[in-house]
Amino acid sequence: MVTHRAHHLFGTYSEGRDQPRPPSILIGRLNLSSEIPDVCCGIAPDVSAVHQSDWDGIMERDNHQEGEAQGVKICDPPSESNPLAHTLATSLSLLGNHMFPDQVERNDSGTANKEETVDSFISDITAEEPSLDAESHSNQVTKLDTEETENPECQNIASTQPTDGGTEDAADNDQSDSGEFVVTMLAKAKLEEQGLGVKGRSSPLLEAGTQECPAFITHREEDVTADSWRQHRKHVFVLSEAGKPIYSRYGSEEALSSTMGVMMALVSFVQSGDNIIRSVYSEEHTVVFLQKGPLVLVCVSSSRQSEQQLRGELLYVYYQIISMLTQASISRIFEHKKNYDLRRLLAGSEKILDGLLNLVDSDPSFLLAAVHCLPIASSLRDSLSQILQKAITPNLVFSILIAKNQLLTIVQEKNVIEDSRLEPADVHLLLNLIGASSAFQAGEIWTPICLPLFNPDCYFYAYISYLDPPECTVCLLLLSTDKEAFYAVAECKRKIEEAMVAQNSLSLIAKAHSYSVSQVGVSDLRHFMYKPFDVPDNYRQLTQFTSPEMEAPYSSEEEKMRLLDLYRYMHSRIHSTSRPLKLIYHVAERETLLAWVTSKFELYTCFSPLVTKACAITAITKLLRWIKKEEDRLFIRYPPKYSTTPNPSKSSRSGKSDQQDSTDNGFLSLL
Amino acid sequence: MPESSKMKKPDVKVVLLGDMNVGKTSLLHRYTEKKFKDTISTVGGAFFLKQWGPYNISIWDTAGREQFHGLGSMYCRGAAAVILTYDVTNWQSLAELEERFLSLTDTANLDCIYAVVGNKADLTDPKAQRPQETDVVSEDRTECEEDQTEPQVTSACPTPPASPASLSGLMLHQQVTHEDAVAFYGRILRYKGLDENNSLPAEKMCFETSAKTGYNVNTLFETLFDLVLPSILRKRNENQESPTVDLEECRGATGKRSRSACC
Ligand SMILES: Nc1nc2c(ncn2[C@@H]2O[C@H](COP(=O)(O)OP(=O)(O)O)[C@@H](O)[C@H]2O)c(=O)[nH]1
Ligand SMILES: [Mg+2]
Repeated sequence: MVTHRAHHLFGTYSEGRDQPRPPSILIGRLNLSSEIPDVCCGIAPDVSAVHQSDWDGIMERDNHQEGEAQGVKICDPPSESNPLAHTLATSLSLLGNHMFPDQVERNDSGTANKEETVDSFISDITAEEPSLDAESHSNQVTKLDTEETENPECQNIASTQPTDGGTEDAADNDQSDSGEFVVTMLAKAKLEEQGLGVKGRSSPLLEAGTQECPAFITHREEDVTADSWRQHRKHVFVLSEAGKPIYSRYGSEEALSSTMGVMMALVSFVQSGDNIIRSVYSEEHTVVFLQKGPLVLVCVSSSRQSEQQLRGELLYVYYQIISMLTQASISRIFEHKKNYDLRRLLAGSEKILDGLLNLVDSDPSFLLAAVHCLPIASSLRDSLSQILQKAITPNLVFSILIAKNQLLTIVQEKNVIEDSRLEPADVHLLLNLIGASSAFQAGEIWTPICLPLFNPDCYFYAYISYLDPPECTVCLLLLSTDKEAFYAVAECKRKIEEAMVAQNSLSLIAKAHSYSVSQVGVSDLRHFMYKPFDVPDNYRQLTQFTSPEMEAPYSSEEEKMRLLDLYRYMHSRIHSTSRPLKLIYHVAERETLLAWVTSKFELYTCFSPLVTKACAITAITKLLRWIKKEEDRLFIRYPPKYSTTPNPSKSSRSGKSDQQDSTDNGFLSLL
Repeated sequence: MPESSKMKKPDVKVVLLGDMNVGKTSLLHRYTEKKFKDTISTVGGAFFLKQWGPYNISIWDTAGREQFHGLGSMYCRGAAAVILTYDVTNWQSLAELEERFLSLTDTANLDCIYAVVGNKADLTDPKAQRPQETDVVSEDRTECEEDQTEPQVTSACPTPPASPASLSGLMLHQQVTHEDAVAFYGRILRYKGLDENNSLPAEKMCFETSAKTGYNVNTLFETLFDLVLPSILRKRNENQESPTVDLEECRGATGKRSRSACC
């Protein structure tokens, strides 16, 4: 198993890594003081009962999964005595802390026993007019509409979130301010609870609540900063459990401290009831919380993305922080000093987090949890891999070649990664790091980096160097477990450089580019994203996806973002925890989209709006054939390996020593 | 090994140390590219080779978290010169040098020389405000001329007012004086167990620079390169038969100080 292996070679695991919380955690009524109206968390509506028969034969659904999702979202019914609470009730679903990483897996297992072919898909979709948007209708829906006239932008997407079917009838009208209201209410609740000296552990969070909340509440109306601040599509904040600001995507943490204070109040409030706050919805914003160890991450988004997606993005932010400091160090730091100002260690790294968030918004790799590789002839890819394979030194574990921010090839060490693979999220973090360090391209970078999914507690040492200065599009990334190995690893680069000169690789790479969708030869197809679950031969390897260039009409940044938003919407429907779908045919105003997930792949396609369903189906058949034909070019098929650690215990030792990253002077002196 | 694949072996190693945001990367960038631009934060260490006459000088630019990551000793091992950089507007950055960074230099060469560099002098010293060095390219002017109304002492990017008119009112107080730096230099020598009389004098080794205007930047690097030349020559002589020098080996090889030769 991956984790065990990693454990062995790179030192000890801190326990509690990704420990999924038992799904049964949760969630009673929040313990508000008596003056405060009860706020209830939503219940996943039992839409399956309502619509079951309608959906039969139209859409394959995974009832098993649905049951599971409902099992998790056990919630109290709202208090009858409190009408206010009804309007707020949709907002809080209080779940355990495991999310995003399981998403694909669950989906996978849900469909695993079903062998799907294009043919069966055709019969499914042609059999009836599918309604793909049943959730957006109220429980009273009796007949199925197609989605054809709907624009997802106009829908109340929040209603696809687990809302309380039984109690929510009145909620819609008054919903506009509920999110804010919840925030305000809870903040107040916190204060009052404190004022009353209510029992419970004295959480350091409480301090944040007292200091910051009154300011927020009284000045919120006039606060110009807060208004302009709201116009951003997506805010991200990171705080320590003690309420110390660590990162804010926009504006300085200080300027926004009142906001941070409210968030802490929210978090601490719910924590004091042993619940973990998950999300707050309003008409315009979704507020998602993620607590990871001593860090609290908050996203305030008007992007209409699903809670899972936003939480997944917060998780990337968390991982990027871990990649710089390791999970173990962060825990140790906060164990020693709850009040520690983590910005002391992250100062200057804000740009790396900014860069990550920009990538998350603009690059579907993050949404798909898969990596994109640059299409090149498999012969070229093989020769590049061989070059990397030959340039090795002890303790080198990964050699990665990147062009135009996409993968060319990855070669990995045999013993270390034997039966594990690099996770896409770790690759994304590496690519982001490279982007962030591109400022000074003449140099060679040597930096500690933790790959949180590989092992959140240990460092690798990354050598980063561009092979084609001054253009700096082709980048070599070598990962070693030995922090002293810079000169040896730099020597590997010289070898690689030399071999690439001999084989004229750079000019061949320069010719490589992403492909046009026109190469597929389907006139109505504008764009697609195809992610196979397991690349041929059952070879466990990096999850990849392929996608053509975004071309007209998606050339402008706005249009690109609009298409991505449509994809995100489709993705959220496909991966909905309450009601996952396998197939969505969605007619929007300016395009028609079709998303389809099977046990073998996940596919998102975008057609011109005039396409007929029959056309779309033929197109997808053609597309799948085309991908099959091109897969050697589109994907890294057979990632090669090398051996640099004949004696695995050696690498284990080096892993151990990396754990004690206080070798120089001890970071505790920083505290 | 084919000739072409041989790395240009660096003859001497120089390391820039100091807290985040004091301007290490900007200094190096100013020196190597003759430009000042808002650099992206350094990730780990960045290794550069600089041709200095017939010599290859390797320069490590560091991120400021070396101690945390335990990489300081690696960057400093075998160093012939260490540039301890602080921000003249930030007293804490000088204190950090003493508290966190000085001990990282334990792995440097025994005859390593130390420069104490107060950067961002343009924020405190009128004479550092206008480009003073001949090689300051005019395109930078635009970058320097962005106006900033409030002084930002600890901000990530303190940009001072560029026009002398606006200066008078907003002149920042120099938070670290030259005397502070000189005193620190004395403590470095003591920490290293060196005799002040046999060492390079503080006057020569304490610099105030501005990466933004270029003030004193060339002087800093070139003074250091001139000072470490003897160490290069000595090494060359010692390694006559093997011209490629292994940086990892050069440390223990020369224990004896030849400082008197250069000053
Ligand atoms: N005013 C002024 N700002 C500077 C100077 N040198 C660097 N800066 C700014 O200080 C910040 C940190 O610089 P950087 O070179 O990244 O610092 P490093 O972390 O030590 O490498 C950047 O915003 C620079 O623009 C300087 O000489 N004068
Ligand atoms: Mg730097």
